[in-house]
Amino acid sequence: MKKSLFTTLYICLLGLTGQALASDLVIYSGRSDKFVKPVVEAFTKQTGIKVTLHTGSSTALLNKLKLEAARTDADVYISNDAGNLQKGSELNLFLPLDDGMVNAIPKNYRAADNSWVGLSARARVLVVNKNDTTVQSIKSVFDLADPKLAGKIGITHSSNESYIAGATVYMRARGEQAVKEWLQGMKKNAGGSVFNKHSKIVRAVADGKKSVGLVNHYYIYRHLAKKPNAPIKVVLPDQGKDGMGVAWNVAGAAVTKHAKHKDAANKLIAFMVSEEGQKIFAQVNREYPTRPGVPAAEQVPLASSYSVADVPMSDLGKYRNATLDLIESVGMP
Amino acid sequence: MLQRLTTRSFLSTSVVLLASIPLLFVLFQSVQLQPAQWLNLWSARLPGLLWNTLSLSVLVALGSFALGVSAAWLITRREFVGRRLAIWLMILPLTIPTYVFAHIYTTLTERDGWLGQLWVLIAGPNVPHPELYNVFGTAFILSLAGFSYVFLLVSDALTRSRADIEEAARLHGLGPRQVFWRISLPMLRPAIAAGLALVVLHVLSDFGAVSMLRYQTFTLSIYLQMSGRFDMQAAAGLSLVLVLLSLTFLVLERFFRDRQRYYSSGNAKKISRHKATPKEQVLIWLWLGGITFFAFALPMAWMLIWSWESWQQALLGSQFWEYVRNSLVVSVSSATLATAAALPLALFHARLRNKLSQTYIHMASIGFVLPGPVIALGILTFVLTMVPAIYGTLLVLVLAMLIRFLPLSVQAQEAAVQQLTPSIEEAGRSLGASPFENIRRVVIPMLKTGMVSAWVLVFIDTLKELPATLLLRPTGFDTLPVRIWIEASEEMLELAAPAALMLVLGTLPVLWFLMRQHDAATK
Repeated sequence: MKKSLFTTLYICLLGLTGQALASDLVIYSGRSDKFVKPVVEAFTKQTGIKVTLHTGSSTALLNKLKLEAARTDADVYISNDAGNLQKGSELNLFLPLDDGMVNAIPKNYRAADNSWVGLSARARVLVVNKNDTTVQSIKSVFDLADPKLAGKIGITHSSNESYIAGATVYMRARGEQAVKEWLQGMKKNAGGSVFNKHSKIVRAVADGKKSVGLVNHYYIYRHLAKKPNAPIKVVLPDQGKDGMGVAWNVAGAAVTKHAKHKDAANKLIAFMVSEEGQKIFAQVNREYPTRPGVPAAEQVPLASSYSVADVPMSDLGKYRNATLDLIESVGMP
Repeated sequence: MLQRLTTRSFLSTSVVLLASIPLLFVLFQSVQLQPAQWLNLWSARLPGLLWNTLSLSVLVALGSFALGVSAAWLITRREFVGRRLAIWLMILPLTIPTYVFAHIYTTLTERDGWLGQLWVLIAGPNVPHPELYNVFGTAFILSLAGFSYVFLLVSDALTRSRADIEEAARLHGLGPRQVFWRISLPMLRPAIAAGLALVVLHVLSDFGAVSMLRYQTFTLSIYLQMSGRFDMQAAAGLSLVLVLLSLTFLVLERFFRDRQRYYSSGNAKKISRHKATPKEQVLIWLWLGGITFFAFALPMAWMLIWSWESWQQALLGSQFWEYVRNSLVVSVSSATLATAAALPLALFHARLRNKLSQTYIHMASIGFVLPGPVIALGILTFVLTMVPAIYGTLLVLVLAMLIRFLPLSVQAQEAAVQQLTPSIEEAGRSLGASPFENIRRVVIPMLKTGMVSAWVLVFIDTLKELPATLLLRPTGFDTLPVRIWIEASEEMLELAAPAALMLVLGTLPVLWFLMRQHDAATK
């Protein structure tokens, strides 16, 4: 009994002191493991560089990075949202990337000073139930505030990063007042019932529990891949010459300012923007690769076939607090 | 004697200083808030948060009272088939963390979940089914997760209570129901108050369930201020209000406890359990079985089924066992350290019993009144500025666990220390034992029960701990709660379930040990 107690204590002490990291590159990843791991594994296979993945929420990890400053272990920060990347850039947490490395990515999908680069993009679209005739004419996200849709809309709760980013784009494109009224209308229509997952919205629309939902495009294709006969369709909102276009958001990466493995970090970013890395992103999550010329998954509508809201991705960070204030003043659930 | 006291006071002071780091951090941050910012907080956030937090606390207190007191009464006052099993069934919910409860029940109540389908079957497809994302749903989850504390304390008080007072009341013509409401229940007030205070403190500091159910309490709002807006000062301001709120609860609880203290002498006649009639037995098991169904069986069935799924798909790789090992390492180290750290404090207080030692005990309770994310942030800031060399090691995480759960350890040991009168220690010394030998051969054996309880309580809570672990774990160091959190937010049920199941299984042996010891003590 006594002996086993001491053994346990000894093992604990061993654990306390000997936690040296056996890796050549540390990533703080705010994306789910299943999207990041395939790229990272391909990278390790190609370069032999061992990677430690520290997964959490994008916002919390950025916070950690800021608090840790020079003491951080992180070499690369990956976020599911451009807002966090731009915020980190403003807090001076990243090292600018070499222009030659990222110039293949269009300017709109990276920071002005190249402190971060977008890797994969997603479109904010409407999912519509084909059987409900009253919602077939919906053409704009602003229609979701129409009192006729009371009880029929599916939206996420307001602390969802994609939701905040979408609202920021609409605010930049249409002004604060319009978005405020939109939020107020949706609040009434949702009637206090909001979703905590985009995938659940798609499911609810497919089941006919809701008629229309506002989601990221890949959730719809993911559902259709499992249930090809689901009675749902994708509506690309706000098209035509008066429309503001579809809101986009990118997931991306940055090299941290205090990275201890700068070379390896740069190699990883270079791999992720290369055609090979970009293809993996396109495959695992049906997102749009940000590198032109790399095709998205085949079900997904071509990015060139519709208009995208003309709002720089960096605005998602700059105006994030303004959006949060707006959401709070309306009291969105 | 004097020398011994100085060693104790030195050790106690160090522990108390360590424990007060997070509070100092909160004070330091909140004095930087401008009056205008305070005013803004006050008008924009506080009324809503106060209402949300208080209404949730009241509902959970009511729920835990109804479940905990009724179960304790039936089990201690009636003899029925499977009574021993029933005791176990009432404490098993303690092994399931609140965020696992929340995750399982949100999954089950969805339209295609078990309960959702049942609802459609009963109410028809067009009646909207009940949602958990509101105060009632959150209260339901937290009552299931917390009523066991009330059960434990109240059934303990009931087994110790005396028969003669109730008998006297019966002789004076009161019916059984009147005896319960007018005699037994008032006499249980201290135990009920202590149990409910424990439940309410858990509600105030809960992070996992409220964030999964998106019910904005102080703790969740503080977390969102910190992590969504990088606004440490507003977070600190809100934390300060939460501390005051928790202290009010604690003072109220002391008030109820101190005003009504019922002593029972050791040889008073214990209450005997009535043999329940067959009809009563059925009713008792309907009630206790119902509680067990929702608080343990249903979540357990869910975990088992999804774990089986992942077992069949061979999803549990070596990494899974690494999470298990990590969790055990953190919990064993923290429990051991917290037990050791609370000992000098308890001894110090037992010897002095003055204002200073009382203050020390209160200061050590900071872990109970500050939310986990704030404690983690306080420790992180302290370590980075004062001892950056240890940052990123497991030690920092263990330190945070020590501070969070020190109150549990202190309370468990304080009770045992009260039996240790100075004369016992002096007897040891006068028989020639050195101070160290005296501690080892006289003091520790007498305190063993208290120390074991302390160890087990801290172990269980550390094993389930989420918010501080999320922030302070070493890079790439994932524990079971962290994985549950990550997989649940991705809806990877077959990955979240085995981790949750491992938490329950890991808690069972220590809980069994604690109960066996408890039985031995009360027999």
